[in-house]
Amino acid sequence: MNPLKVDRIIKNYGDKRAVNGLSFEVAAGEIYGLLGANGAGKTTTMRMILGLILPDEGDIRYLGNSYSEQQLSMLGYLPEERGMYPNIKVSEQIMYLAQLRGMSRKDADKNLKLWLEKFQVPEYYNKKVEELSKGNQQKIQFIAAVIHKPKILILDEAFSGLDPVNVELLKTTVKELRDGGTSIVFSTHRMEHVEELCRNITIMHKSNPVLQGPIKDIKKKFPQERVIVTADGKIEGLDKIPGVRQVILHEHGGYELKVDSPAVGQSILKHALDQGPVNRFEVLEPTLNEIFIKTVGESHE
Amino acid sequence: MNNSLWTVMSFTMRNKLRSKGFIIMTVVLALLLVVAGNLPYLIEKLSGGSGGATKVGYAEGQQTQVVEGLKSHYAKLPEPGVELVGIASEEQLKSALENGDIKGYLTFQEDAAAGFPKVTYNSKSAFEGGTSSSLTGALQQVKYDTVLDGAGLSDAQKAQLHAPVSFQTQKVSFTNEEGKTEEEQGIAIALTYVMIIMLFMAVMITGQLIATEITAEKSSRVMEIIVTSVSPLKQMWGKILGTFLVAMIQIVILVGALVANLSLPHNSDILKNFGFDLSTIDPLLLIFAIFFYLAGFFLYATLFAAIGSIVSRTEDLGQAVMPITMLTLVGFYIAIFGLNQPDSTLMVVCQYIPFFSPFIMFLRIGVAEPAWWEIAFSIGILIASILAIGWLSAKIYRVGVLMYGKRPSMKEIVKAMKAYKV
Repeated sequence: MNPLKVDRIIKNYGDKRAVNGLSFEVAAGEIYGLLGANGAGKTTTMRMILGLILPDEGDIRYLGNSYSEQQLSMLGYLPEERGMYPNIKVSEQIMYLAQLRGMSRKDADKNLKLWLEKFQVPEYYNKKVEELSKGNQQKIQFIAAVIHKPKILILDEAFSGLDPVNVELLKTTVKELRDGGTSIVFSTHRMEHVEELCRNITIMHKSNPVLQGPIKDIKKKFPQERVIVTADGKIEGLDKIPGVRQVILHEHGGYELKVDSPAVGQSILKHALDQGPVNRFEVLEPTLNEIFIKTVGESHE
Repeated sequence: MNNSLWTVMSFTMRNKLRSKGFIIMTVVLALLLVVAGNLPYLIEKLSGGSGGATKVGYAEGQQTQVVEGLKSHYAKLPEPGVELVGIASEEQLKSALENGDIKGYLTFQEDAAAGFPKVTYNSKSAFEGGTSSSLTGALQQVKYDTVLDGAGLSDAQKAQLHAPVSFQTQKVSFTNEEGKTEEEQGIAIALTYVMIIMLFMAVMITGQLIATEITAEKSSRVMEIIVTSVSPLKQMWGKILGTFLVAMIQIVILVGALVANLSLPHNSDILKNFGFDLSTIDPLLLIFAIFFYLAGFFLYATLFAAIGSIVSRTEDLGQAVMPITMLTLVGFYIAIFGLNQPDSTLMVVCQYIPFFSPFIMFLRIGVAEPAWWEIAFSIGILIASILAIGWLSAKIYRVGVLMYGKRPSMKEIVKAMKAYKV
């Protein structure tokens, strides 16, 4: 049984429908991507999973149980807008939040020290949050979300505002949590993170789930429309090949072609080989970024 | 999971008790109260008890009859505040004052119409209240004696004339066997006064504090994490109870400092002289005081919590709590006004209005004699409204903590309540 099961949830705010019939499941040790433009209903969905608001229709199950106060201690939440008590010591507030999640003070203290050690900032234990840089505050916030070893973790824009080094650090940590069996719901606007971390995704658009499933399958649904070809010399007449819509000459040599179908790639390769040796040839699958823009952007018209 | 209520409470208390502002304020207030508690003693020490009587000079040979009268008057007093010192001539009086041999001197001017000379007390400062009032009284006495000497009255008649009128006020009570004595009445008024001011301060300071903390949690977004770990209701009550306990600790420290100082031997005597005896406090009145204090506190505290929850930024809080602040102020001022007229219609009406009744009902119990059903009715309304307002505040709180942006209107809150199904 999957730890988190969301079943056709519907939520209305007055006349406006915020979430319309969304269903998905997150397995143990899986990161599930929840994507969508701003205002698509992601935050409402997360709030419903967190039990802050109840769905009007549909059902959310946690390890098979419906929502109750007992579930609170197995949930972890990293909100999009970061916030901690500015003038209270790191140790005090992390222990407070951990206690609220049902941990004992002693265990919380032990875990906090382990985490600070892991992030190589043990000296923050006695510092006030306002004394830390933004990136370091974020690390503390992250610790607050995971200190009680939640079974279900909800990360809303986990890596925003971090430098690349810290993004790498947190990403590694998230992967470790995943490998440890945590079910993670992950929301972000950075598609490369989704491609790297998530197995399954839902793209929401205007309250509706418009695209759902494993990333691999989703990508297969979208035609491979890009071809990269690179040779030592110039390749003439690429734009004359039937099925080629657009040719872009890259700065450092090589051509990127937009094509009607993947089959066109073969005639491009033949055409290029006729003119000399080819260094690189690739039919690219669409990036998630393109899929997202296509899905969300097109239905905008 | 009542643990979490306790966790919120202890966290709130720990942070309050540790904050520098709280510690400094408590210490300063306690010091002020220690000084205030010793004030009667200090005043007595500084004015009367500065080692003997004030030396007042007079020119020898002038108005001997008056001077002798004064001397014999002061001689009869157990603690004469004034000692008369003869100086050879009028010219030397001034230099004696300058040298500090005397504190001041008397000069006389004949006044045939009054039959008694006009007396002037000359001193370095015109503000010699104690000495001059003592001299006025003494001179009046001397004048009496001078005039009466001619009238041929017996000593007994003179004594009758001098004896002050015996006058006492006693409030008639219809419920108790005997009316309250003036002393008991005084203590009741004092207790009422203290309780009203303490309640007012508790509501203003602690209420504001609760609202500010909640808004601060909201504006720092820590609220989002807290409401996902603990039910908003528990969080609200944890906050209110925690802040309340801190306020109680502060009051215990302050009252303890005051009472400890008042019951020091040198102070308790003076207080007894004022007719102020802590042991005459009616225990029932104390119970009412505690009840109305708690009731008033929780009535307003839940409201402050609700207001705090709908405001997103601390800057906007002052404006948002204004209506409640006004309510408290009105209740407080009606009570202060009512101390003199506890039976006016305004008071009788206000004792049933929940926002005012903690002030007014207690005041009327203290200084008037409301019927038992009036008290019962008022307490009933109060408890019912605390429950109702607590319930409503909890609902507002539940949706308020999740609403960001501009302060929501009443309509938006109701709409949100429906949407959130609370």
